[in-house]
Amino acid sequence: MRYTSSLLLLICCCTALTTYAQQESIPGTVSFTPEDNGQPARIQSLFRNHDGYLFAGTNTGLFRFNGSNFTPVLFKDSAINNTVTAIFEDKSQQMWVGFANGAIATRTNNRLRLFTPEEGTPAQSITGFTQDGGGHLWFATNGEGIYYRYGTHLYNIDTADGLSDTHVHQLVATPTGEVLAATDQGINICSVNGSAKTIRVLTTANGLPDNLVTCIVPAGNNQYWIGMQDKGYCLYDHRSGTFSRSAANWNYGQINALLFMPSGNLWMATAEKGLLRLATSSASLLPPVVVYEGIRPASGLLIDNEGNFWLHNGDRLLRTNGEKLSLLPVLPAALMPSVHAILIDRQNHCWAGTDMAILRYNLSNADAPPVRYPIPSLTSKTDITSLYEDNRGHIWIGTMGRGVFILNPRNGSCRSLRDDPMLINSSVFSITGRDSTICISGLEGAAVLEAGASSYRCINYTSIPGIGSSIVYSVYKDSRNRTWFATDGKGITVLDKGKYTNYDEHSGLKNNVVYSVTEDRKGHIWFSTAKAGIYRFDGHSFINYAVADGLSSTNISDVKTDGAGNIVIISKKGLDILNPETGRFSYLGRGQGLGVVNTEDIGCVSRDTAGNIYFCTDKGMGRYSPVTGGIAPPRVIIENIRLFLDELGPGPDSLFSHDQNNLSFEFTGLCYSDPERLQYQYRLDGYDTTWISTRDRKAQFARLSPGSYRFRVRASLNNNFTTASEAVFSFVIKKPVWQRWWFILLVITTITALLYWYIKAREKHLRKLQQHEQEKIQFRFQVLRNQVNPHFLFNSFNTLISAIEDDPATAVAYVEQLSAFFRNIVNYRDKDIITLREEMTLLHTYTYLQQKRYGASLQLKVSLTEHELATIMIPPLTLQLLAENAVKHNALSVETPLQIELFIQNNSLIVRNNINPRITRQEGTGMGLTNIISRYHLLTDQQVRISKDEYFFVLSLPVIQQHA
Amino acid sequence: MTPVNKTMVYCNRYTNNLKYLCTAILLLLLLSANRPYAPNAVFSIKSGSISFRSDAPLELIRAQSTELRGKIDTDKKLFAFVIKMGSFNGFNSPMQKEHFNENYLESSKYPDASFSGKIIEDIDFLKSGTYTVRAKGILNVHGVGQERIIKCGLVVKNGQLNINAAFTVLLADHNITIPKVVHEKLASEIKVEVKAEMVTQ
Repeated sequence: MRYTSSLLLLICCCTALTTYAQQESIPGTVSFTPEDNGQPARIQSLFRNHDGYLFAGTNTGLFRFNGSNFTPVLFKDSAINNTVTAIFEDKSQQMWVGFANGAIATRTNNRLRLFTPEEGTPAQSITGFTQDGGGHLWFATNGEGIYYRYGTHLYNIDTADGLSDTHVHQLVATPTGEVLAATDQGINICSVNGSAKTIRVLTTANGLPDNLVTCIVPAGNNQYWIGMQDKGYCLYDHRSGTFSRSAANWNYGQINALLFMPSGNLWMATAEKGLLRLATSSASLLPPVVVYEGIRPASGLLIDNEGNFWLHNGDRLLRTNGEKLSLLPVLPAALMPSVHAILIDRQNHCWAGTDMAILRYNLSNADAPPVRYPIPSLTSKTDITSLYEDNRGHIWIGTMGRGVFILNPRNGSCRSLRDDPMLINSSVFSITGRDSTICISGLEGAAVLEAGASSYRCINYTSIPGIGSSIVYSVYKDSRNRTWFATDGKGITVLDKGKYTNYDEHSGLKNNVVYSVTEDRKGHIWFSTAKAGIYRFDGHSFINYAVADGLSSTNISDVKTDGAGNIVIISKKGLDILNPETGRFSYLGRGQGLGVVNTEDIGCVSRDTAGNIYFCTDKGMGRYSPVTGGIAPPRVIIENIRLFLDELGPGPDSLFSHDQNNLSFEFTGLCYSDPERLQYQYRLDGYDTTWISTRDRKAQFARLSPGSYRFRVRASLNNNFTTASEAVFSFVIKKPVWQRWWFILLVITTITALLYWYIKAREKHLRKLQQHEQEKIQFRFQVLRNQVNPHFLFNSFNTLISAIEDDPATAVAYVEQLSAFFRNIVNYRDKDIITLREEMTLLHTYTYLQQKRYGASLQLKVSLTEHELATIMIPPLTLQLLAENAVKHNALSVETPLQIELFIQNNSLIVRNNINPRITRQEGTGMGLTNIISRYHLLTDQQVRISKDEYFFVLSLPVIQQHA
Repeated sequence: MTPVNKTMVYCNRYTNNLKYLCTAILLLLLLSANRPYAPNAVFSIKSGSISFRSDAPLELIRAQSTELRGKIDTDKKLFAFVIKMGSFNGFNSPMQKEHFNENYLESSKYPDASFSGKIIEDIDFLKSGTYTVRAKGILNVHGVGQERIIKCGLVVKNGQLNINAAFTVLLADHNITIPKVVHEKLASEIKVEVKAEMVTQ
């Protein structure tokens, strides 16, 4: 969907000025038309939320309006295309939207969501909301009466409960907890407690002028202004329950909306005459003033944070300057060229100096014709340059070349001031004063007059060296009784307790032509220069304000303090309003429909007692009124945040992962008075080091590295951003896992642990090897020891001796075998492992040697296959040692021969011998068996098992296969 | 609150209850009377059921009754529905039913629960279709009347009316107090569902 807004600049006063209609007007009225898919949408309701954002309810839904564009506020999960008839924000800033079909929605993150209470929602249109003192939400319908929420339930008030009519137009909560309902049948005062309801009805019988009440606005002090269908307005006092101040003759049509201003003005949006203003502060009410008839039927009147009024007629949304800027129906534009001085007196009269006379207009009654006071001895060439009202109500008239005249408005008498010779036929620039003091300044210098009983005591400041110049544009008497002289070419001079102090270029001023002086509420002196903007003097130093600080122009003609304490700076560009507390500027210029301001004549600016500033323009006389609470500075709002292309909404501050690093921000500044003037600056703290200026309402950041960021955006109406408001969104992009401290720590710990484990394992392995080596040495030692066992040798030699005698051939074989035995031992002792066959050869040699001694008493039974002999490995001398052990520990005889059996069982090599213990036991060291066990332990995981019973000694050796 | 005030509140409640009861009865009497000028204006329940459900952290209790009686005057948009509290069946045990009737609802003292009032919407009961209407009336449970708006689905077909509605009843609203020990077993908010078929007489 595409939405556009059309902007029509309507200078409403143009026609008014050319025809010189006696009508006040608001210049610079601008109208907007919301569009939905190119079709104009009809406005039904208007609302300003806590942000100052404007919302328009139309026949195609809710729109948000930022001063130039309408953006639709859509439903989150459904598409309800219905007329928005009421908009409200409760105390928790929750927005409620009511529709013509009775539906109700709430707005969160700029999306609407249907409100679905258990009780259902009305079938008739929602006409208004309110929230009572107890926080209960109320809403009004057109036909079903009033609903309110109490606890978890929704309750209804209709005619059965005492409501005078079910067509309710507006609800207003009173500070006392009641709710006033404007209905077709009078005002209903409702108060509830749970389902208990009390309803009081006020109708014409109670003094209400018209039963059809359309709107109610609080007037303070428990009073309410009431708008009606037929009889205009009236004031309702809730304490006494009475009505007063009703309209006498009402012919402006139905009042659709009311706006009551702190100034005491009641503004009315009417069906037939557009926007009306009623001054309610005076005791007797004058008829309302038609301010703007260009919009009919007018409704939805509200004020924004900048003092602009907004209203609509369905088709168009209209902005007006409200009370802050108006064009007064006095001093027609045609007369303006001859007007060089104006004055607003304490009776709310406007005085204007024209050719040879001064005119007096009544601002309270614009229809009354002006009163003309001719000034004697003036020619058409004599300009009246200044007007001043003294504390006696006399009007002082300063002229060019004719001196000063004093007019008594009561009798019209006018006399020339001749109390000082300097003043006679002098040329006067300005007349100012404070209390009974009057200050006159001009081409001949300055004079300060103190009013006496019948004459004036005059102090002449002509050719005083301390002042520096005899041309004085104005004299200002400040609150501390100091006298300031604004001179031409010599800067500014202050006279304090008889001492003159001059400030000019040598004191740091950039311009020596000073026109006007004023004082703010803190006692600081402000003055304007012809070419260098304005200065503030705080008693010690000067601060200059120029274009870079926010001024529209540096050529300033006048500076005044308004009723709210703002400094009003007048230049050809219009009025710059500076809040001296905050340093913020707001502007009234062409954008507000201001014409060309007369900056040639010093006397053409006047301030009334209320603090309004009057000035002359080519379109007529303008009035600036300070906005209560000040004109809000432009507010900047982050409207949307996108992560890549996903909308996150304006949401709270966030945490993103390392790959969620492409963010864009959409923001808007709210300046309803002059949206075109807005400038933006943004920076991303943590990324940018400077502010980036833009007029685009977007900022994008791609590939952000992990870290904390703060997106800041600010909006200003001028180049000075130091006082600008700021919107902030903080977020954190987290580091990837591998960059986080705990991960790094984990990795380091793991590596350390692995390293530690490796070192330990290696150490263990080395120790094992060392142990192996040691055992091998021990075994060898053991074997060697066994080999040189003298018993074995002795036995062997005995056997050999008997063999030599009996059978020398056998003896030779025996010696060969003995020699082979020892050779094999020598061969194998350095090896870790040998084949079973090699071991068997050794065993057979040994058995041969022993059998020569024991004969058949020693038997060796081998049940091993060729394959087993070839493939099974065994530590050398294992079997020999076992055989030796068997011989050593057993008694050998023919009757009970020692049988050594060798066979494979369950993947083990079994060495078994029968037990026939010797009577005299030969003690062994036990080294042999232990050695075998530990050698096997080094070679294989399987255990060497020893079992011994009554008959057999069995040793089970694990089979070690030869490696392929 | 002073004892005198308290007594007054009790008196008020009593008279209120009496008032609601009277209205309900009157309304029923009024509706059951045959009026010659609008013979088809009154719908009565042919069959109706009402069920409730208490969804507490420790126990789920359900009960239902088919003894729903009621009438709707479509001309005046008035309605009245009544249910005997003793007629509810279901529960998790006979003991529970006994507690329900004796301890909480005091069915011997307040035998009926009723809802009577006026329909907010204007609909044509003669025209077949599906409607959503809201009924505004007094819901009387445990002798305490509370004004309620109840949303109902309506199906009009061949002169027959099918109603279904779901709503919640806060025990506190009707002065039904639960001892602390059963807080975990009995919800403070009871969900009620009503279904009824209505025909003209």
